[in-house]
Amino acid sequence: MAAVKQTVDHVRSLEKYKHGFVTDIDQEFAPKGLNADIVRFISAKKDEPEWMLAWRLDAFERWLAMDEPDWAKISFPRIDYQDAYYYAAPKAKAGPKSLDEVDPDLLETYKKLGIPLREQEVLAGVEGAPKYAVDAVFDSVSVVTTFKKELAQAGVIFCSMSEAIREHPELVRKHLGSVVPVSDNYFACLNSAVFSDGSFVYVPPGVRCPMELSTYFRINAENSGQFERTLIIADQGAYVSYLEGCTAPMRDENQLHAAVVELVALDDAEIKYSTVQNWYPGDPETGKGGIYNFVTKRADCRGDRSKVSWTQVETGSAITWKYPSCVLRGEGSSGEFYSIAITNGRQQADTGTKMIHLGPNTRSRIISKGISAGKSTNTYRGLVSAHPKARGARNFTQCDSLLIGKTCAAHTVPYIEARNGQSVFEHEATTTRLSEDQLFYAMQRGLSEEEAVQLLVNGFVKDVLQELPMEFAVEAQKLVAISLEGSVG
Amino acid sequence: MSVAEAIRERDAARLPGKRDEDWRWTDLRGLIRQVPPPSAEVDPAVVGAGPFDALTDERVVIVNGLGAVHIGVEPGEAKVVVLRHVSRGDGAHAARVSVEVEAGGRLTLLESYEGDAGGYLAQAGLLFSLGKDATLERVVLVSDGAEGVTVSQAEVELSPGAAFAQTVATSGARRQRIEVRVAHPGGHAGLRLDGVYILDGKRHADLTSVVTHAGVDGATDQLAKGVVRDQARAVFQGRIVVAEGADRTDARMGHHALILSDRAEVDAKPELEIYADDVACAHGNTVGALDEDALFYARQRGVPEPQARALLTEAFIGEVVDRIGHEPAREIVRAWVSERLGG
Repeated sequence: MAAVKQTVDHVRSLEKYKHGFVTDIDQEFAPKGLNADIVRFISAKKDEPEWMLAWRLDAFERWLAMDEPDWAKISFPRIDYQDAYYYAAPKAKAGPKSLDEVDPDLLETYKKLGIPLREQEVLAGVEGAPKYAVDAVFDSVSVVTTFKKELAQAGVIFCSMSEAIREHPELVRKHLGSVVPVSDNYFACLNSAVFSDGSFVYVPPGVRCPMELSTYFRINAENSGQFERTLIIADQGAYVSYLEGCTAPMRDENQLHAAVVELVALDDAEIKYSTVQNWYPGDPETGKGGIYNFVTKRADCRGDRSKVSWTQVETGSAITWKYPSCVLRGEGSSGEFYSIAITNGRQQADTGTKMIHLGPNTRSRIISKGISAGKSTNTYRGLVSAHPKARGARNFTQCDSLLIGKTCAAHTVPYIEARNGQSVFEHEATTTRLSEDQLFYAMQRGLSEEEAVQLLVNGFVKDVLQELPMEFAVEAQKLVAISLEGSVG
Repeated sequence: MSVAEAIRERDAARLPGKRDEDWRWTDLRGLIRQVPPPSAEVDPAVVGAGPFDALTDERVVIVNGLGAVHIGVEPGEAKVVVLRHVSRGDGAHAARVSVEVEAGGRLTLLESYEGDAGGYLAQAGLLFSLGKDATLERVVLVSDGAEGVTVSQAEVELSPGAAFAQTVATSGARRQRIEVRVAHPGGHAGLRLDGVYILDGKRHADLTSVVTHAGVDGATDQLAKGVVRDQARAVFQGRIVVAEGADRTDARMGHHALILSDRAEVDAKPELEIYADDVACAHGNTVGALDEDALFYARQRGVPEPQARALLTEAFIGEVVDRIGHEPAREIVRAWVSERLGG
């Protein structure tokens, strides 16, 4: 029963949101508001070449002409885009070359994050630390990038987006915006204009990336939206697994997070992208203060037999609005989407995926597990489509929703568009509550109600947890339990 | 945005289009630039017999819209009524029909939509209201012309203990939408909403349903199946809403389609919107080609390929037809299906 005790202790220790704190580090802000000058300021701050500034300004122009979308099943007060900061960088002494130069407060932040992550040791420079490459994004600017050398030996480029723009402009120019076009949607367009930083990964042909790459995002500065921009390119026959995890400090004003993630997989390449997201969900009673997570994630399976797999565990944020998608262009390419979305308190999640079959013999698989508790709303929204040329396309979709309590809501909104006679699409969805019989059985064996619920819920999401890399799976399992705290009895 | 309004006001701008979420796959505004003038009056005596005429003497025939019609069933009474919507020529027309089955009454409504080769725009608005323990079976056979545009919109109000069952069989039209919205009170009321579509050429059919469960102990059972060939397009949109407090709701929805050509299209959106926790709701949706293994088996037993295909397709659709309660009507629908698949 050690595991159960551990979980119970963990839940107790989390009566207050554990990651709710603000580290005081000098910030360099762009003035509040958004206009062309702010875009120029951001670009200048980051020493960007002229073409990048032009790209941003073009995006900003287009953004001005767009309307905020309102079709999702979520509600929130209108965002005043002029009442936010669009750039905040830690006043690092001109880019630290070694860990000694890193602001001690920053290292303290990692500690407070409770990252039992061996990554922290890596950051602290402990010898013999395991091989995880961490591109730590601390409020918009990559501060430390480790293991660059070892990766460089393999020919893998793993750096911040700002650095990539300076060092590898040809790759960035070729691929940036090629998966998510600048004016794809309102939030992606905003991101294109003001993106702060993010990760850039390039894996050369035939290379299997020697380690799992991971980035810990963190929103820190008061009132500064974070606009991550991530681009991952797996060249022919390459393989890379990328982990993304997030925490954010507690605060009162809603924060906007509008990231864009682009994945490009060429012939025979494979990208595995895993996310654990537990940003501050807002006050459980009033919903005040949580993060708005409006993210555009898309993979382009450009090459034949390429493969992209999205796995996500979404437990945080006041509002989650994201649809990691796959454009299956290459012949025989495949896309996977495994998702656990848990909402509690006043959280709202509208999430799912798009599998767009363009090439022949493309395959996709969607497993989505939604759990709603408290007064929350959880929507699965997905699209599976097959182009007339996508002969032999196959899709299997399973969406299960679990309701805990009388005041929550669970919705399933799948769109299926089949445009040829050689495809097979299968979709199944169920919505139920926890089985009384199973609960009774578990409790009769001596488990408390809360433990019994955790046990059943863990069983419910098992199919997805199995898809996570080991080190994430353990963390995610705990998160699932913690997220449902207080939803029973 | 309503089709009836657009016809009445002769204002194409009021037609729903692909920007309206509920009509994204059945775009009328993009199709119809101008609402045609009102249809000419036609003497019902000259339109010939309807598909269900032999089954009852009680018949209501609406030719080119015109006015409002009421069909009533008194408490405890049992009736079989034929309701025909006939479209002739190129005009636009709308009709309103109200059907009331009082407590304990039983009605079998054998409804047909019959069009000619004209480019008509037809709308029918139907209101069904069922008293306590009343039952209504609605069998709808839709045979529009290839140039016609038809929209049928039914609202159903159920009382506790009532039972409403519907089977729609359609061959599509230039653009066609058969829509039903049900206010389900729970209270052991039963609901079955079935559909069959068999489309060829450039025909389009859209089966849309919205069921709102407002009270405890409600059941909904829905099964739609269809076959599309050539450049035809089928749309299935089914939404089941379970309101807060509508516990012990049991709702199942299934939609299965066969695409038999590379230029045909099937779009489906089976939706669940659940605000209560003690429910069992599920939907299944499949789109694909005929099972090659089954085809191989049939051919290996000596059945030539065209017959084998027809056999398998008929069996596929047959599952829905078998659920029709009124036997003579069931056999008429079955014959209609065979004829469509044979051609």
